[in-house]
Amino acid sequence: MGTSVSAPEPAASLAPNPEMFRLIVEAAPHAILVANPRRLIALINRRTEELFGYARDELVGQPTEILVPMQFRKAHPGHVDNFLAAPSARAMARGRELVGRRRDGSELAIEIGLTPLPTPDGLFTMASIIDITERKRYEDELRRSNAELEQFAYIASHDLQEPLRMVASYTELLGQRYRGKLDDKADKYIFYAVDGAKRMQRLVADLLTYSRVGSQGRPLVDVDTEAVVTGVVEMMRSSIRKANARIEVSPLPHVMADEVQLRQLFQNLIGNALKFRAEADPVIGIRVAHHGDQWLFCVEDNGIGIDMQYAERIFQMFQRLHERGKYEGSGIGLTIVKRIVERHGGQVWIESKPGLGTSFFFSLPSVATKAA
Amino acid sequence: MTRPVRTARPLRVLLVEDNPGDADLTRDTLEASIEPSGRELDLQVVVDGEQAIDYLLRRGPHTAAARPDVILLDLNLPRLGGVQVLAEIKQHDQLRDIPVVVLTSSAAETDIAQSYRAGANAYVTKAGELGAFMANLQAIERFWFNAAKLP
Repeated sequence: MGTSVSAPEPAASLAPNPEMFRLIVEAAPHAILVANPRRLIALINRRTEELFGYARDELVGQPTEILVPMQFRKAHPGHVDNFLAAPSARAMARGRELVGRRRDGSELAIEIGLTPLPTPDGLFTMASIIDITERKRYEDELRRSNAELEQFAYIASHDLQEPLRMVASYTELLGQRYRGKLDDKADKYIFYAVDGAKRMQRLVADLLTYSRVGSQGRPLVDVDTEAVVTGVVEMMRSSIRKANARIEVSPLPHVMADEVQLRQLFQNLIGNALKFRAEADPVIGIRVAHHGDQWLFCVEDNGIGIDMQYAERIFQMFQRLHERGKYEGSGIGLTIVKRIVERHGGQVWIESKPGLGTSFFFSLPSVATKAA
Repeated sequence: MTRPVRTARPLRVLLVEDNPGDADLTRDTLEASIEPSGRELDLQVVVDGEQAIDYLLRRGPHTAAARPDVILLDLNLPRLGGVQVLAEIKQHDQLRDIPVVVLTSSAAETDIAQSYRAGANAYVTKAGELGAFMANLQAIERFWFNAAKLP
Protein backbone atom coordinates (compact mmCIF):
# COMPACT_ATOMS: atom_id res chain seq x y z
CA MET A 1 0.00 0.00 0.00
CA GLY A 2 2.51 2.53 1.13
CA THR A 3 4.96 1.72 -1.65
CA SER A 4 2.82 2.68 -4.61
CA VAL A 5 2.58 6.45 -3.89
CA SER A 6 5.31 7.33 -6.40
CA ALA A 7 3.20 6.10 -9.31
CA PRO A 8 2.18 9.07 -11.51
CA GLU A 9 -1.38 10.33 -11.27
CA PRO A 10 -3.45 9.49 -14.34
CA ALA A 11 -3.18 12.25 -16.96
CA ALA A 12 -6.93 12.35 -17.18
CA SER A 13 -7.08 14.48 -14.02
CA LEU A 14 -5.34 17.34 -15.93
CA ALA A 15 -7.86 17.30 -18.75
CA PRO A 16 -9.80 20.53 -19.32
CA ASN A 17 -12.19 21.16 -16.54
CA PRO A 18 -13.93 24.52 -16.42
CA GLU A 19 -13.96 24.72 -12.65
CA MET A 20 -10.25 23.89 -12.36
CA PHE A 21 -9.47 26.40 -15.10
CA ARG A 22 -11.42 29.08 -13.22
CA LEU A 23 -9.59 28.29 -9.96
CA ILE A 24 -6.16 28.45 -11.64
CA VAL A 25 -6.93 31.80 -13.23
CA GLU A 26 -8.40 33.08 -9.98
CA ALA A 27 -5.31 32.04 -7.98
CA ALA A 28 -2.78 33.59 -10.37
CA PRO A 29 -0.61 36.31 -8.80
CA HIS A 30 -0.96 38.43 -11.97
CA ALA A 31 -4.03 40.16 -13.23
CA ILE A 32 -5.52 38.04 -16.00
CA LEU A 33 -8.07 39.23 -18.51
CA VAL A 34 -9.62 37.37 -21.44
CA ALA A 35 -11.20 39.27 -24.33
CA ASN A 36 -13.68 37.67 -26.71
CA PRO A 37 -13.49 37.91 -30.52
CA ARG A 38 -15.60 41.10 -30.32
CA ARG A 39 -12.88 42.56 -28.06
CA LEU A 40 -15.13 42.70 -25.05
CA ILE A 41 -13.89 41.55 -21.67
CA ALA A 42 -15.09 37.97 -21.17
CA LEU A 43 -13.32 37.04 -17.96
CA ILE A 44 -11.08 38.57 -15.31
CA ASN A 45 -9.55 37.30 -12.09
CA ARG A 46 -9.50 38.73 -8.57
CA ARG A 47 -6.10 40.37 -9.07
CA THR A 48 -7.54 42.38 -12.01
CA GLU A 49 -10.26 43.70 -9.70
CA GLU A 50 -7.64 44.70 -7.13
CA LEU A 51 -5.27 46.25 -9.65
CA PHE A 52 -7.78 48.40 -11.48
CA GLY A 53 -10.28 48.97 -8.67
CA TYR A 54 -13.30 47.65 -10.57
CA ALA A 55 -15.80 45.00 -9.44
CA ARG A 56 -16.00 42.02 -11.76
CA ASP A 57 -19.40 42.82 -13.22
CA GLU A 58 -18.29 46.40 -13.96
CA LEU A 59 -15.66 45.06 -16.34
CA VAL A 60 -17.11 41.91 -17.91
CA GLY A 61 -18.83 42.84 -21.18
CA GLN A 62 -16.98 46.15 -21.48
CA PRO A 63 -14.47 46.96 -24.27
CA THR A 64 -10.87 46.49 -23.14
CA GLU A 65 -10.26 50.22 -23.73
CA ILE A 66 -11.94 50.85 -20.36
CA LEU A 67 -8.55 50.01 -18.79
CA VAL A 68 -6.56 52.20 -21.19
CA PRO A 69 -5.80 55.84 -20.26
CA MET A 70 -7.79 58.38 -22.31
CA GLN A 71 -4.79 59.63 -24.29
CA PHE A 72 -4.07 56.10 -25.61
CA ARG A 73 -7.65 54.96 -26.22
CA LYS A 74 -7.86 56.12 -29.79
CA ALA A 75 -4.77 54.17 -30.86
CA HIS A 76 -5.66 51.00 -28.96
CA PRO A 77 -8.00 49.29 -31.47
CA GLY A 78 -5.28 49.64 -34.13
CA HIS A 79 -2.79 47.85 -31.86
CA VAL A 80 -5.35 45.11 -31.25
CA ASP A 81 -5.84 44.72 -35.02
CA ASN A 82 -2.10 44.33 -35.46
CA PHE A 83 -2.03 41.61 -32.84
CA LEU A 84 -5.01 39.78 -34.29
CA ALA A 85 -3.51 39.97 -37.77
CA ALA A 86 -0.55 37.89 -36.58
CA PRO A 87 -1.53 36.42 -33.22
CA SER A 88 1.32 34.89 -31.22
CA ALA A 89 2.22 34.74 -27.56
CA ARG A 90 4.30 37.85 -26.90
CA ALA A 91 4.80 40.91 -24.76
CA MET A 92 2.63 43.89 -25.67
CA ALA A 93 4.51 46.94 -26.96
CA ARG A 94 7.90 45.45 -26.26
CA GLY A 95 10.38 48.08 -25.24
CA ARG A 96 7.70 50.71 -24.64
CA GLU A 97 6.29 51.68 -21.28
CA LEU A 98 2.65 50.74 -20.86
CA VAL A 99 0.21 52.56 -18.67
CA GLY A 100 -3.12 51.30 -17.36
CA ARG A 101 -6.04 53.30 -16.03
CA ARG A 102 -7.75 52.51 -12.73
CA ARG A 103 -11.44 53.05 -12.05
CA ASP A 104 -10.63 56.30 -10.20
CA GLY A 105 -8.76 57.62 -13.24
CA SER A 106 -5.27 57.19 -11.72
CA GLU A 107 -2.63 55.50 -13.86
CA LEU A 108 -0.27 52.62 -13.16
CA ALA A 109 2.83 51.31 -14.93
CA ILE A 110 2.20 47.82 -16.29
CA GLU A 111 3.65 45.09 -18.43
CA ILE A 112 1.32 42.91 -20.51
CA GLY A 113 1.86 39.46 -21.98
CA LEU A 114 -0.59 38.46 -24.74
CA THR A 115 -1.60 34.91 -25.63
CA PRO A 116 -4.04 34.03 -28.44
CA LEU A 117 -6.66 31.47 -27.37
CA PRO A 118 -8.29 29.85 -30.42
CA THR A 119 -11.69 28.35 -29.55
CA PRO A 120 -14.61 26.96 -31.57
CA ASP A 121 -16.31 30.31 -30.90
CA GLY A 122 -13.47 32.33 -32.42
CA LEU A 123 -10.15 33.84 -31.35
CA PHE A 124 -10.08 34.91 -27.71
CA THR A 125 -7.07 36.80 -26.32
CA MET A 126 -5.62 36.39 -22.87
CA ALA A 127 -3.76 39.32 -21.34
CA SER A 128 -1.58 38.75 -18.32
CA ILE A 129 -0.93 42.07 -16.59
CA ILE A 130 1.87 42.83 -14.14
CA ASP A 131 2.00 45.95 -11.99
CA ILE A 132 5.54 47.32 -12.37
CA THR A 133 5.06 50.54 -10.39
CA GLU A 134 7.33 49.24 -7.62
CA ARG A 135 9.95 48.01 -10.06
CA LYS A 136 9.97 51.33 -11.85
CA ARG A 137 10.34 53.11 -8.54
CA TYR A 138 13.39 50.93 -7.72
CA GLU A 139 14.82 51.57 -11.18
CA ASP A 140 14.38 55.30 -10.75
CA GLU A 141 15.97 55.12 -7.32
CA LEU A 142 18.88 53.12 -8.68
CA ARG A 143 19.40 55.60 -11.48
CA ARG A 144 19.33 58.48 -9.05
CA SER A 145 21.73 56.82 -6.64
CA ASN A 146 24.11 55.99 -9.50
CA ALA A 147 24.02 59.59 -10.65
CA GLU A 148 24.72 60.77 -7.10
CA LEU A 149 27.61 58.34 -6.81
CA GLU A 150 29.08 59.62 -10.04
CA GLN A 151 28.69 63.19 -8.88
CA PHE A 152 30.38 62.22 -5.64
CA ALA A 153 33.30 60.57 -7.43
CA TYR A 154 33.64 63.66 -9.58
CA ILE A 155 33.66 66.10 -6.69
CA ALA A 156 35.89 63.89 -4.56
CA SER A 157 38.48 63.38 -7.26
CA HIS A 158 38.35 67.04 -8.26
CA ASP A 159 38.83 68.33 -4.72
CA LEU A 160 41.46 65.72 -3.89
CA GLN A 161 43.69 67.02 -6.66
CA GLU A 162 44.45 70.28 -4.90
CA PRO A 163 45.98 68.96 -1.64
CA LEU A 164 47.58 66.12 -3.54
CA ARG A 165 49.34 68.59 -5.80
CA MET A 166 50.83 70.18 -2.66
CA VAL A 167 52.12 66.84 -1.37
CA ALA A 168 53.55 65.88 -4.75
CA SER A 169 55.09 69.29 -5.47
CA TYR A 170 56.75 69.76 -2.10
CA THR A 171 58.08 66.22 -1.77
CA GLU A 172 59.52 66.63 -5.26
CA LEU A 173 61.02 70.00 -4.35
CA LEU A 174 62.47 68.40 -1.24
CA GLY A 175 64.02 65.73 -3.42
CA GLN A 176 65.43 68.24 -5.89
CA ARG A 177 66.90 70.64 -3.37
CA TYR A 178 68.08 68.27 -0.64
CA ARG A 179 69.22 65.19 -2.52
CA GLY A 180 72.57 64.10 -1.11
CA LYS A 181 72.40 66.70 1.66
CA LEU A 182 70.68 64.48 4.19
CA ASP A 183 71.64 60.81 4.07
CA ASP A 184 70.96 57.83 1.80
CA LYS A 185 67.92 56.76 3.76
CA ALA A 186 66.40 60.23 3.55
CA ASP A 187 66.89 60.23 -0.22
CA LYS A 188 65.15 56.87 -0.44
CA TYR A 189 62.25 57.97 1.75
CA ILE A 190 61.77 61.08 -0.35
CA PHE A 191 61.85 58.99 -3.51
CA TYR A 192 59.07 56.73 -2.25
CA ALA A 193 56.99 59.68 -1.09
CA VAL A 194 57.33 61.39 -4.48
CA ASP A 195 56.59 58.17 -6.35
CA GLY A 196 53.51 57.43 -4.24
CA ALA A 197 52.15 60.95 -4.51
CA LYS A 198 52.61 60.95 -8.28
CA ARG A 199 50.89 57.62 -8.68
CA MET A 200 48.01 58.83 -6.56
CA GLN A 201 47.78 61.97 -8.67
CA ARG A 202 47.46 59.81 -11.71
CA LEU A 203 44.79 57.62 -10.12
CA VAL A 204 42.77 60.61 -8.99
CA ALA A 205 43.06 62.23 -12.42
CA ASP A 206 41.93 58.97 -14.03
CA LEU A 207 39.04 58.64 -11.60
CA LEU A 208 38.03 62.16 -12.51
CA THR A 209 38.12 61.31 -16.22
CA TYR A 210 36.06 58.20 -15.56
CA SER A 211 33.41 59.95 -13.51
CA ARG A 212 33.15 62.66 -16.17
CA VAL A 213 31.85 60.08 -18.66
CA GLY A 214 28.62 59.88 -16.70
CA SER A 215 28.40 63.23 -14.97
CA GLN A 216 29.64 65.54 -17.73
CA GLY A 217 28.34 63.69 -20.78
CA ARG A 218 26.70 65.60 -23.60
CA PRO A 219 23.50 64.56 -25.37
CA LEU A 220 23.91 62.03 -28.18
CA VAL A 221 23.78 63.57 -31.63
CA ASP A 222 24.49 62.43 -35.18
CA VAL A 223 28.26 61.91 -35.46
CA ASP A 224 30.39 60.79 -38.39
CA THR A 225 32.53 58.01 -36.92
CA GLU A 226 34.96 58.11 -39.81
CA ALA A 227 35.68 61.79 -39.28
CA VAL A 228 36.18 61.11 -35.58
CA VAL A 229 38.65 58.27 -36.26
CA THR A 230 40.51 60.35 -38.87
CA GLY A 231 40.80 63.13 -36.31
CA VAL A 232 42.07 60.78 -33.62
CA VAL A 233 44.64 59.22 -35.95
CA GLU A 234 45.80 62.70 -36.94
CA MET A 235 46.09 63.73 -33.30
CA MET A 236 48.05 60.58 -32.41
CA ARG A 237 50.30 60.90 -35.44
CA SER A 238 53.54 61.27 -33.51
CA SER A 239 53.00 58.22 -31.29
CA ILE A 240 51.82 56.23 -34.31
CA ARG A 241 54.98 57.18 -36.19
CA LYS A 242 57.16 56.45 -33.16
CA ALA A 243 55.70 52.93 -32.96
CA ASN A 244 56.14 52.54 -36.73
CA ALA A 245 52.47 51.58 -36.84
CA ARG A 246 50.08 51.42 -39.75
CA ILE A 247 46.40 52.23 -39.18
CA GLU A 248 43.91 50.83 -41.67
CA VAL A 249 40.52 52.50 -41.46
CA SER A 250 37.55 51.08 -43.39
CA PRO A 251 34.55 53.27 -44.26
CA LEU A 252 32.67 53.96 -41.03
CA PRO A 253 29.05 54.98 -40.42
CA HIS A 254 27.27 57.84 -38.72
CA VAL A 255 26.04 56.99 -35.22
CA MET A 256 24.24 58.75 -32.40
CA ALA A 257 27.01 59.67 -30.01
CA ASP A 258 28.69 62.15 -27.71
CA GLU A 259 31.49 63.15 -30.06
CA VAL A 260 34.00 63.96 -27.31
CA GLN A 261 33.46 60.54 -25.77
CA LEU A 262 33.55 58.73 -29.11
CA ARG A 263 36.92 60.37 -29.76
CA GLN A 264 38.14 59.30 -26.33
CA LEU A 265 36.92 55.76 -27.02
CA PHE A 266 38.93 55.41 -30.25
CA GLN A 267 41.90 57.21 -28.74
CA ASN A 268 42.00 54.74 -25.84
CA LEU A 269 41.62 51.69 -28.10
CA ILE A 270 44.27 52.84 -30.59
CA GLY A 271 46.52 53.89 -27.70
CA ASN A 272 46.02 50.47 -26.16
CA ALA A 273 46.94 48.72 -29.42
CA LEU A 274 50.09 50.86 -29.75
CA LYS A 275 51.09 50.25 -26.16
CA PHE A 276 50.74 46.47 -26.22
CA ARG A 277 52.51 45.99 -29.53
CA ALA A 278 54.67 42.95 -30.26
CA GLU A 279 58.06 42.81 -32.01
CA ALA A 280 56.56 43.26 -35.47
CA ASP A 281 55.49 46.70 -36.67
CA PRO A 282 51.95 47.29 -35.40
CA VAL A 283 49.08 47.08 -37.86
CA ILE A 284 45.81 48.36 -36.44
CA GLY A 285 42.60 47.76 -38.38
CA ILE A 286 39.37 49.62 -37.70
CA ARG A 287 36.31 48.05 -39.29
CA VAL A 288 32.57 47.88 -38.88
CA ALA A 289 29.76 45.48 -39.74
CA HIS A 290 26.00 45.94 -39.59
CA HIS A 291 24.27 43.39 -37.38
CA GLY A 292 20.51 43.67 -36.97
CA ASP A 293 19.91 47.03 -35.33
CA GLN A 294 23.53 47.35 -34.19
CA TRP A 295 26.79 48.55 -35.66
CA LEU A 296 29.54 46.18 -34.68
CA PHE A 297 32.89 47.99 -34.58
CA CYS A 298 36.20 46.20 -34.41
CA VAL A 299 39.63 47.59 -33.54
CA GLU A 300 42.07 44.85 -34.31
CA ASP A 301 45.82 44.69 -33.68
CA ASN A 302 48.75 42.31 -34.14
CA GLY A 303 50.10 42.99 -30.66
CA ILE A 304 51.11 40.77 -27.77
CA GLY A 305 47.53 39.51 -27.28
CA ILE A 306 45.96 38.50 -24.04
CA ASP A 307 44.98 35.27 -22.35
CA MET A 308 41.20 35.08 -22.66
CA GLN A 309 40.90 34.21 -18.97
CA TYR A 310 41.58 37.92 -18.35
CA ALA A 311 39.05 39.06 -20.97
CA GLU A 312 36.73 40.52 -18.31
CA ARG A 313 39.36 41.77 -15.93
CA ILE A 314 40.97 44.18 -18.36
CA PHE A 315 37.82 46.30 -18.28
CA GLN A 316 37.82 46.63 -14.50
CA MET A 317 39.03 49.82 -12.88
CA PHE A 318 42.74 49.99 -12.09
CA GLN A 319 43.31 46.35 -13.08
CA ARG A 320 46.60 45.79 -14.81
CA LEU A 321 47.96 42.52 -16.12
CA HIS A 322 51.59 43.59 -16.22
CA GLU A 323 53.91 44.61 -13.42
CA ARG A 324 54.30 48.28 -12.75
CA GLY A 325 56.94 49.89 -14.94
CA LYS A 326 56.66 47.53 -17.89
CA TYR A 327 53.77 49.44 -19.46
CA GLU A 328 52.68 52.95 -18.54
CA GLY A 329 49.24 53.69 -17.23
CA SER A 330 47.02 53.09 -14.25
CA GLY A 331 44.64 50.68 -15.92
CA ILE A 332 41.66 52.94 -16.46
CA GLY A 333 41.74 53.32 -20.26
CA LEU A 334 39.62 50.27 -21.05
CA THR A 335 37.33 50.92 -18.07
CA ILE A 336 36.55 54.27 -19.66
CA VAL A 337 36.02 52.55 -23.01
CA LYS A 338 33.48 50.22 -21.40
CA ARG A 339 31.75 53.06 -19.59
CA ILE A 340 31.47 55.10 -22.81
CA VAL A 341 30.15 52.17 -24.86
CA GLU A 342 27.57 51.36 -22.19
CA ARG A 343 26.47 54.97 -21.96
CA HIS A 344 25.80 54.78 -25.70
CA GLY A 345 23.69 51.63 -25.29
CA GLY A 346 26.28 49.15 -26.55
CA GLN A 347 28.54 46.41 -25.29
CA VAL A 348 32.27 45.80 -25.53
CA TRP A 349 34.30 42.59 -25.51
CA ILE A 350 37.51 41.14 -26.86
CA GLU A 351 38.77 38.21 -28.82
CA SER A 352 42.45 37.51 -28.49
CA LYS A 353 45.23 34.99 -28.85
CA PRO A 354 48.47 35.55 -26.95
CA GLY A 355 51.20 36.31 -29.46
CA LEU A 356 48.81 36.94 -32.33
CA GLY A 357 46.89 40.04 -31.39
CA THR A 358 43.66 41.32 -29.96
CA SER A 359 40.36 42.40 -31.46
CA PHE A 360 38.25 44.82 -29.47
CA PHE A 361 34.61 44.65 -30.48
CA PHE A 362 31.97 47.14 -29.48
CA SER A 363 28.40 47.60 -30.55
CA LEU A 364 26.49 50.84 -30.97
CA PRO A 365 22.80 51.04 -31.79
CA SER A 366 22.22 51.91 -35.44
CA VAL A 367 19.24 54.19 -35.76
CA ALA A 368 17.99 56.35 -38.55
CA THR A 369 20.45 59.21 -38.72
CA LYS A 370 20.39 62.34 -40.76
CA ALA A 371 21.74 61.96 -44.26
CA ALA A 372 25.53 62.08 -44.33
CA MET B 1 67.46 111.73 -23.69
CA THR B 2 65.97 110.38 -20.51
CA ARG B 3 66.89 106.94 -19.39
CA PRO B 4 63.96 104.62 -18.78
CA VAL B 5 63.15 105.06 -15.12
CA ARG B 6 60.89 102.04 -14.94
CA THR B 7 63.80 99.71 -14.45
CA ALA B 8 64.61 101.52 -11.26
CA ARG B 9 61.52 100.32 -9.45
CA PRO B 10 60.59 96.71 -8.79
CA LEU B 11 57.87 95.05 -10.81
CA ARG B 12 54.75 95.02 -8.68
CA VAL B 13 52.65 91.89 -8.77
CA LEU B 14 49.54 91.17 -6.73
CA LEU B 15 48.97 87.46 -6.17
CA VAL B 16 45.46 86.53 -5.06
CA GLU B 17 45.91 83.03 -3.66
CA ASP B 18 44.50 81.33 -0.58
CA ASN B 19 46.79 78.31 -0.62
CA PRO B 20 50.04 79.26 1.15
CA GLY B 21 51.80 76.30 -0.46
CA ASP B 22 51.00 77.61 -3.92
CA ALA B 23 51.84 81.19 -2.91
CA ASP B 24 55.32 80.13 -1.73
CA LEU B 25 55.93 78.02 -4.79
CA THR B 26 54.81 80.84 -7.06
CA ARG B 27 57.01 83.38 -5.29
CA ASP B 28 60.06 81.09 -5.36
CA THR B 29 59.66 80.31 -9.03
CA LEU B 30 58.94 83.86 -10.17
CA GLU B 31 61.83 85.31 -8.16
CA ALA B 32 64.27 82.75 -9.54
CA SER B 33 62.96 83.34 -13.04
CA ILE B 34 63.20 87.14 -12.96
CA GLU B 35 66.62 87.22 -11.32
CA PRO B 36 68.79 87.08 -14.48
CA SER B 37 66.97 90.14 -15.87
CA GLY B 38 68.29 92.20 -12.98
CA ARG B 39 64.82 93.37 -12.19
CA GLU B 40 63.34 93.13 -8.74
CA LEU B 41 60.00 91.58 -7.95
CA ASP B 42 57.64 93.07 -5.39
CA LEU B 43 55.08 90.31 -4.92
CA GLN B 44 52.19 90.99 -2.56
CA VAL B 45 49.85 88.17 -1.57
CA VAL B 46 46.24 88.50 -0.48
CA VAL B 47 44.23 85.43 0.45
CA ASP B 48 40.70 86.10 -0.72
CA GLY B 49 38.60 88.08 -3.16
CA GLU B 50 37.43 90.73 -0.73
CA GLN B 51 40.99 91.46 0.32
CA ALA B 52 42.00 91.69 -3.31
CA ILE B 53 39.40 94.40 -3.95
CA ASP B 54 40.32 96.20 -0.69
CA TYR B 55 43.97 96.09 -1.72
CA LEU B 56 43.33 97.47 -5.18
CA LEU B 57 41.05 100.22 -3.86
CA ARG B 58 43.41 100.92 -0.95
CA ARG B 59 40.80 100.29 1.67
CA GLY B 60 41.16 99.06 5.24
CA PRO B 61 44.68 97.92 6.05
CA HIS B 62 45.81 98.56 2.47
CA THR B 63 45.79 102.38 2.39
CA ALA B 64 49.47 102.40 1.43
CA ALA B 65 49.16 99.68 -1.21
CA ALA B 66 50.92 100.41 -4.51
CA ARG B 67 49.05 99.78 -7.73
CA PRO B 68 50.21 96.44 -9.15
CA ASP B 69 51.58 96.12 -12.70
CA VAL B 70 50.09 92.65 -13.08
CA ILE B 71 47.54 90.65 -11.08
CA LEU B 72 47.80 86.88 -10.74
CA LEU B 73 44.39 85.59 -9.74
CA ASP B 74 43.35 82.19 -8.43
CA LEU B 75 39.71 81.28 -9.17
CA ASN B 76 38.89 79.05 -6.25
CA LEU B 77 38.82 81.66 -3.52
CA PRO B 78 36.90 81.84 -0.27
CA ARG B 79 34.04 84.38 -0.06
CA LEU B 80 34.28 86.48 -3.23
CA GLY B 81 35.18 84.05 -6.03
CA GLY B 82 37.90 84.69 -8.61
CA VAL B 83 35.57 85.38 -11.52
CA GLN B 84 33.66 87.95 -9.44
CA VAL B 85 36.93 89.64 -8.45
CA LEU B 86 37.89 89.69 -12.11
CA ALA B 87 34.56 91.19 -13.11
CA GLU B 88 34.87 93.92 -10.46
CA ILE B 89 38.36 94.81 -11.59
CA LYS B 90 37.35 94.99 -15.23
CA GLN B 91 34.29 97.11 -14.46
CA HIS B 92 36.31 99.59 -12.44
CA ASP B 93 37.57 102.67 -14.31
CA GLN B 94 40.86 102.94 -12.44
CA LEU B 95 41.60 99.21 -12.40
CA ARG B 96 40.46 97.76 -15.70
CA ASP B 97 43.75 98.39 -17.50
CA ILE B 98 45.78 96.22 -15.10
CA PRO B 99 46.47 92.89 -16.85
CA VAL B 100 44.93 89.98 -14.95
CA VAL B 101 46.38 86.52 -15.42
CA VAL B 102 44.08 83.82 -14.07
CA LEU B 103 46.21 81.14 -12.40
CA THR B 104 44.11 78.18 -11.32
CA SER B 105 44.06 74.41 -10.99
CA SER B 106 40.75 74.29 -12.87
CA ALA B 107 40.89 73.28 -16.52
CA ALA B 108 37.08 73.30 -16.79
CA GLU B 109 35.83 74.78 -20.05
CA THR B 110 33.20 76.80 -18.19
CA ASP B 111 35.83 78.44 -15.98
CA ILE B 112 37.99 79.30 -18.98
CA ALA B 113 35.07 80.74 -20.95
CA GLN B 114 33.72 82.69 -17.96
CA SER B 115 37.12 84.14 -17.16
CA TYR B 116 37.74 85.44 -20.66
CA ARG B 117 34.22 86.80 -20.85
CA ALA B 118 34.85 88.64 -17.58
CA GLY B 119 37.94 90.20 -19.14
CA ALA B 120 40.86 87.96 -18.19
CA ASN B 121 44.05 88.82 -20.10
CA ALA B 122 45.31 85.23 -19.90
CA TYR B 123 44.25 81.94 -18.38
CA VAL B 124 46.99 79.62 -17.12
CA THR B 125 46.42 76.32 -15.30
CA LYS B 126 48.47 75.16 -12.35
CA ALA B 127 49.80 71.91 -13.74
CA GLY B 128 49.63 68.93 -11.39
CA GLU B 129 53.23 68.09 -12.11
CA LEU B 130 55.80 70.33 -10.43
CA GLY B 131 58.02 70.75 -13.50
CA ALA B 132 55.08 71.79 -15.66
CA PHE B 133 53.74 74.09 -12.94
CA MET B 134 57.08 75.89 -12.74
CA ALA B 135 57.41 76.05 -16.52
CA ASN B 136 54.05 77.81 -16.73
CA LEU B 137 55.09 80.35 -14.09
CA GLN B 138 58.35 80.96 -15.94
CA ALA B 139 56.36 81.53 -19.11
CA ILE B 140 54.22 84.10 -17.26
CA GLU B 141 57.37 85.79 -16.00
CA ARG B 142 58.97 85.89 -19.43
CA PHE B 143 55.90 87.17 -21.22
CA TRP B 144 54.12 89.44 -18.75
CA PHE B 145 57.14 90.69 -16.76
CA ASN B 146 59.54 90.99 -19.69
CA ALA B 147 58.17 90.81 -23.22
CA ALA B 148 54.89 92.65 -22.70
CA LYS B 149 54.75 96.42 -22.39
CA LEU B 150 52.61 97.17 -19.37
CA PRO B 151 50.45 100.28 -18.86
